[in-house]
Formats: sequence, C-alpha cells, structure tokens
Amino acid sequence: MVKYILIGSLLFLTACSDKLVRVMPYEKEYFAQDKMSLSPIAERAEQEGHVYLIREASAGGESAFQGGCGCR
Amino acid sequence: MKKILITLLVWANLFGAGQVGDKAVGFDLPNLYNLDKKISLNEYKGKVVLVNLWASWCGGCQEEMPIFVELQKEFKGSDFHILLSTIDKEPKNAVAFLQSVDRERVLKSVYDSEKILPKAYRCIGMPSSYLVDKSGTIVEVYVGSIDEKHVGKLKAKIKSLLGE
Repeated sequence: MVKYILIGSLLFLTACSDKLVRVMPYEKEYFAQDKMSLSPIAERAEQEGHVYLIREASAGGESAFQGGCGCR
Repeated sequence: MKKILITLLVWANLFGAGQVGDKAVGFDLPNLYNLDKKISLNEYKGKVVLVNLWASWCGGCQEEMPIFVELQKEFKGSDFHILLSTIDKEPKNAVAFLQSVDRERVLKSVYDSEKILPKAYRCIGMPSSYLVDKSGTIVEVYVGSIDEKHVGKLKAKIKSLLGE
C-alpha cells in the first residue's frame, strides 16, 4: 500500500513540476517582445562584445579559436 | 499494476500531441475584423479547411502569412478555405499585422482571446496548421511555418482532398 502511495505521490509531484516549469508555445507572447531579448539594443551588444574581447583576451576571448595567449 | 498502467496510458493520451485522424474540434469564436460577429467551424462543413493557429508576435507566423494569402487566392471559388485563429492579447495587433500582408482581406480569422483552440488542438508549437477534410477529420498537422518548399506538397494534398 505504501509503495502505491509513494508511486502515486511521485507521479503527482512530477506532473506538478512539469506544469510549473513548462511554458506552452502559445503562452510566449511576453517572451517574444523585444525588451525580453538578452541584448535588446544591437549597437550596445556589439560594444559590449568588443569590451569583453579586450578584457578577456588572455583567457581565450569568446571563441574556441587559438589558445588564449593574449597575442591577438 | 494493470490499473496503474491503464490510468497512465489514458493520461498520456489526454495530454499527448498528434491528432491526425481525430475529428477537428469545433468552435464558435468572434471574427477578428468584427468582434460582434462570430465564425463557426460548422459553417465550413463539407469543405476542406486549413485551420491555422497564429499570433502577430510569432516570427514563423509572420513568415508564412503571405504564402497563405497567395494560397487562398489560388483556390478562390473552390471548396478550400483557410481559417486563421489568433491568440494575440490585443486584437488590434493581430488586425494591424494581418492588414499589412492581406489588404484585400482574402483570409478570415477568428479571435481566440482565451487560447481555447491551442489547448483543444494540443498545440505543441507556433504556428500550427491543421488540414481538415470534407468529413471534418484532421488529415495533416503542420507544426512550424509552411514555407515555399513545403507549399507544393500542401497544394497537392488540398487538390486530392477536393477531388481535383
């Protein structure tokens, strides 16, 4: 009996978590807005990328190309 | 154990996607261009209908809409109709977009503010289109936008359903 209650509870909780986390495709109206973009301003994103590259060059920049010697 | 398995199967069937062979879920929703009037799927009984779930904020929907305009023009006067259903929060956004691509108002759209149809049709992606035959059965489900590459197959399917 305890086993069945345990299985039932697990299934119930799994269903709950799925419902909480999953956003259905037709519910993404707000996510589709420009302001929800990680980089809403293209120019600013480019400038930030440039700064990031300069600062992180010694760590290999943002690509997998070359080894990170800082001698770009 | 058998009972548990049967219960799980029933639940999986209830929430699963994929509806080819199912009867198209009927609806009676406001006309997007005139919210006081309603459009029902029953009006299209005995006709081939492409039910399309769309929204003005959905990129794929924006891409496929001009193709639908051309498709409906091509089948003008036949028993094939495209019936759109928008789930926009603000109907004016949907009207503004639709008018920008369909000035002649070739396409008809209902306004589904409560998102009844995506739930009823168990929509798993936007846009989604459901090709319904003359008997009211879903014969094809298209998840994602229909592009120029796939529209040829869709036309062939429509023609075969129309008996041309």
